Amino acid sequence: MPTVVLMDVSLSMTRPVQLDGTEEFQRKNLAVHGLTMLFEHMATNYRLEFTALVAFSSLWELMVPFTRDYNTLQEALNNLEDYDKTCLEPALQGVSNIVQQEWGSTCPCQVVLVTDGSLGIGRGSLRHSLSTIKHRSEDKKFPLPFPFPAKLYIMCIANAEELQNSDTLDNLEQLLSLNGGEGQIFTVEGPLCLKNVQSLFGKLIDQAYTPFHAVLRCGNLSSDVQVFPRPEPVIMDEEVDPAPRTILTDLEIVGFIEIGDISSPPVLSRHLVLPIAVNKGFLGPTFMGTGTTDETEEENSANQMAGKSPNFCVLLHGSLKVEGMVALVQLGPEWYGMLYSQADSKKKSNLMMSLFEPGPEPLPWLGKVSQLGPTSDAKENPYGEDDSKSPFPLQPKSKRSYAQNVTVWIKPSGLQTDVQKILRNARKLPEKTQTFYKELNRLRKAALAFGFWDLLKGVADLLERECTLLPDTAHPDAAFQLSHAAQQLKLASTGDSQYAAFDHNITPMLTDFSGSGSSDRDRM
Amino acid sequence: MKMFSISHKTAFVVDHCPYMAESCRQQVEFDMLTKNRPQGVIPLAPVSKSLWTCAVECSMEYCRILYDIYPTRKLVNFIVSDSEFHILNSWNQADQSTQELMAALAAVGPPNPHEDPECCSILHGLMAAVESLCKITEYQHEARTTLMDKADRVSNRGRIICITNAKSDTHVRMLEDYVQETIQEQNKLAISSDRLMQIQQCELVLIHTYPFGEETLVSDRPKKEISPVLTSEVHSVRAGRHLASKLNILVQQHFDLASTTITNIPMKPTLNVCDQEEQHANTSANYDVELLHHRDAHMEFIKSGTTSRDSGLKETVTLKWCTPRTNSVELHFCTGAYRISPVDVNSRPSSCLTNFLLNGRSVLLEQPRKSGSKVISHMLSSHGGEIFLHVLNCTRSTLEDPPSISEGCGGRVTDYRITDFGEFMRENRLTPFPDVQGSEVAGKVPLERAKRQLERHTRYWPMIISQTTIFNMQAVVPLASLIVKESLTEEDVLTCQKTIYNLVDMERKNDPLPISTVGTRGKGPKRDEQYRIMWNELETLVRTHMGSSERHQRVLDCVLACRSKPPEEEDRKKRGRKREDREDKGEKNGKDSESERSWQESERLKAALERDREELAEAEVIKDSPDSPEPLNKKPRLEVEDVQPAEKAKGPVSLLTMWTNRINTANSRKHQEFAGRVNSVNNKAELYQHLKDENGMDPHENGKAMR
Repeated sequence: MPTVVLMDVSLSMTRPVQLDGTEEFQRKNLAVHGLTMLFEHMATNYRLEFTALVAFSSLWELMVPFTRDYNTLQEALNNLEDYDKTCLEPALQGVSNIVQQEWGSTCPCQVVLVTDGSLGIGRGSLRHSLSTIKHRSEDKKFPLPFPFPAKLYIMCIANAEELQNSDTLDNLEQLLSLNGGEGQIFTVEGPLCLKNVQSLFGKLIDQAYTPFHAVLRCGNLSSDVQVFPRPEPVIMDEEVDPAPRTILTDLEIVGFIEIGDISSPPVLSRHLVLPIAVNKGFLGPTFMGTGTTDETEEENSANQMAGKSPNFCVLLHGSLKVEGMVALVQLGPEWYGMLYSQADSKKKSNLMMSLFEPGPEPLPWLGKVSQLGPTSDAKENPYGEDDSKSPFPLQPKSKRSYAQNVTVWIKPSGLQTDVQKILRNARKLPEKTQTFYKELNRLRKAALAFGFWDLLKGVADLLERECTLLPDTAHPDAAFQLSHAAQQLKLASTGDSQYAAFDHNITPMLTDFSGSGSSDRDRM
Repeated sequence: MKMFSISHKTAFVVDHCPYMAESCRQQVEFDMLTKNRPQGVIPLAPVSKSLWTCAVECSMEYCRILYDIYPTRKLVNFIVSDSEFHILNSWNQADQSTQELMAALAAVGPPNPHEDPECCSILHGLMAAVESLCKITEYQHEARTTLMDKADRVSNRGRIICITNAKSDTHVRMLEDYVQETIQEQNKLAISSDRLMQIQQCELVLIHTYPFGEETLVSDRPKKEISPVLTSEVHSVRAGRHLASKLNILVQQHFDLASTTITNIPMKPTLNVCDQEEQHANTSANYDVELLHHRDAHMEFIKSGTTSRDSGLKETVTLKWCTPRTNSVELHFCTGAYRISPVDVNSRPSSCLTNFLLNGRSVLLEQPRKSGSKVISHMLSSHGGEIFLHVLNCTRSTLEDPPSISEGCGGRVTDYRITDFGEFMRENRLTPFPDVQGSEVAGKVPLERAKRQLERHTRYWPMIISQTTIFNMQAVVPLASLIVKESLTEEDVLTCQKTIYNLVDMERKNDPLPISTVGTRGKGPKRDEQYRIMWNELETLVRTHMGSSERHQRVLDCVLACRSKPPEEEDRKKRGRKREDREDKGEKNGKDSESERSWQESERLKAALERDREELAEAEVIKDSPDSPEPLNKKPRLEVEDVQPAEKAKGPVSLLTMWTNRINTANSRKHQEFAGRVNSVNNKAELYQHLKDENGMDPHENGKAMR
């Protein structure tokens, strides 16, 4: 989940903060301090996160495009200049554009807005934007809700008391509800000082940037893992009682399936599964990433040690890759996902986990997941002794229209094609007796269902005429079959229940001609 | 779409009154002139569909699309109305198919134009439709029973689609009022019934249809609220293709569908996309096929506002066919998969496309762009006879350039048992089992059994080759694959015992074991030490399963009995070695006799061991596990076979000698041999030969020169 830090660099951010006995701070300095802490945390514990830095006042500027290089972000943060007034709406529009350009409109994002809570006055202020929100034309819509799923975290470098004097909090809450309630407003508790700003950003880190740790199990084999990005709770729309569902920290493998059998299933999200060494001690949130040289060296050697002791994830990854299989993993009650090896272009590969939609039957071609069992329980190996078969995909109970030769005559061409098929076969009687009657019965059934009796009469006439046009060389059986078929269609077109029954089929006339005629009957 | 939304239940009411027998006045030529026809044949007069035929085939088309895209949970109840109502099917899932409806329609037949129009009315059908909407469906029933006390949260909404020929706008209003009244009446009845539910919301879609060339007597009207429960809309359309396209638009609106046109589909015979039966087979051209599917498949386009409007009302997204190059299976990052239904199901291009997909090929679809790189955004693929439109992720991935797995924990280890684990995964593949009622109670939920099997199979599973001996030995395979079973047969126990006796035999013969020497200097542990490690490991494996059954316990007993060393073992060892020599000679006589002998031997051994089993098992104390490192061998290396030089060895060369020789020859190829060594005698080269030469030979040389 990429992050955009939206930093307020308006003049009001330079307001000094009264502190006893220490050097004078601006609110901006406090904000920079807090963000520094966030960046340091991410660099150590969340380093795969892409982050961009946008500064705004009346204009906005992308200071650092999405990157994992936290030094660059830090540097840009330290060199921010001061500008004029706060205009939030164009800045949010900017964020929306930047994210869509980079990640499209389906990738969930986090927006961290850092401001002092003075959101401008008059035109361009947030209050003004919100009051005009209902009177916008299509092309000037308010940027929220974002087209992509987004969490909006608003970091106020101000405490709740001072914000209460204005309508700032109301406006910010309105902003959150525009975003579908996704996100949170954080304010400084107590006086503005470095320590309280630290705890402010600490709360954000706890809320949004704690790594997700889990145990991956396969029977008695297991490994501690970090799942990145963090799987977010999912709310199912179809449920009578919608409650957010979170994935378990105990990920249990339930069995294995070939890649060809699972065949590109739709997934909610994808996550890297990275094995971790638990005794390294960064379980849980760690705010201070002040990596002194000693610590990093220690960490390096710890890494090396961890690299040398066998890990289940690596074994699993290797075998999944070699065998071309996926592991089905249980994420919660009636919720499943899959583990597989994912290679990028640079020949690096990784263990990846995709989450299916929660529910007992996420993929129609697998059926109910709870009904999947070990092959050894089956009477006969469903994969065949030589691995030539597969029990998947599961066949649905009924066939779809395109798989069962349905009759549709809405366009004249549909009807014409069907009549042509009968005629073509009629000219090749008696060789094509089978297909001739098959097509004839198909037409008959449809005509009866649609109450299209005129067509039955018409086709009967057509067959009778065809009979008269038979060349002298024609097999005598052809004439018999054509007039027999024509007569049967005529009877059906009367609606007489004896001849117009839907399930009735016109069968070839029994004739006794030596040669091809009899051999044709043998084939019936 | 919520599960019990309005589209859960659709009641179709089609007018079957005498005036519906009227012609729609659009003629269909069915006697087409084709080539190789004799000249002068007058084609037969075209036929014309009745209003009824038009209404029925269009509503069947509506159902066809609906069932293709929602095979379950979206239900249709089909009713026809004349002097009474005829209900053609029920809400039951089993009744939901076009074949069922076609058969029922054939039984009804076309309207009788001679029936008294006064007795016939669409009202009978509308009443039946309202009654039917009150009836509970199996899905509603299931939801209500699972929710128990919150059963009232299950909602009951529905839609009535009525195709009729109305007299006037006043007539239409009368129909609406009638539906409203009937809903009120039926809702009262529903309160006191278990099998009925009150209608909370009903959408009435009235379609007035009339023959081509006539003026309409009814005006279109958009959706309007008649009451809090009932909304109504009126569509006035000419019969025939106008009615068909109206119902096509309606099915898209009612079920949140969208349209995609696949363009540039090549239909060349070489591609095997289509059969060559038809007359166009030798021409090759590119075709378009329009598909319907859930509109979420267009999420990306909807959000970015790039859906293209084709003509007037029709909105479709065009995607370009990419000819598949390989058949390789690949796991695409796919964010959605939606069932499709072709708009023109039996047209040639449609059926070519669907048959191609049903045969198991997948087709990637590309966004048509005027410039820039190509973007593959969708894929068509069939699963078990159903075709799905997959949405592929085509934006930058947030997971790009991750650290490789080899850089993380356990990444430096190189001897993982990858192949063995692959075998393990194959054994633990899943397979679907039929859903049998009451299986949960018996603890036989297949998935739970799968988990239990994984647990059994991993009780002892070393991850790397150097951690294990037994799993590197072919001889242990029969036992290792049987012991993990939930239950053993008598035969299985016998196989396990045979495996163990075989190991005893190997030990007696002093066969080498594949003990890993990784991390140890020198040759590693001695032979009998190796066997101790092997037996320890085997015991650990079998011990983890001893609780499974009495037969598992017997296998453990056998291991314990066999691995112990009775006092006379040393003797036996010696005898065994002699016999080995004999066997080597006798090997040419045939392996059968040998195996038989060893079998007899083990039988005898078994009998002997059986007697002492109890006490021996007790006497055995497991001192170490295979996990703990073995103490290094401190004894001087006096093992006979090790010291024995190869030249002196009688009988076959030892493995060590073979290996050393091999390495030596391999090494010798890699470098030019020292001149000294090449010229050496008995591995001794004389130094300063040139001095000798100079001194000794000089006179000779000089002499020559002097000469």
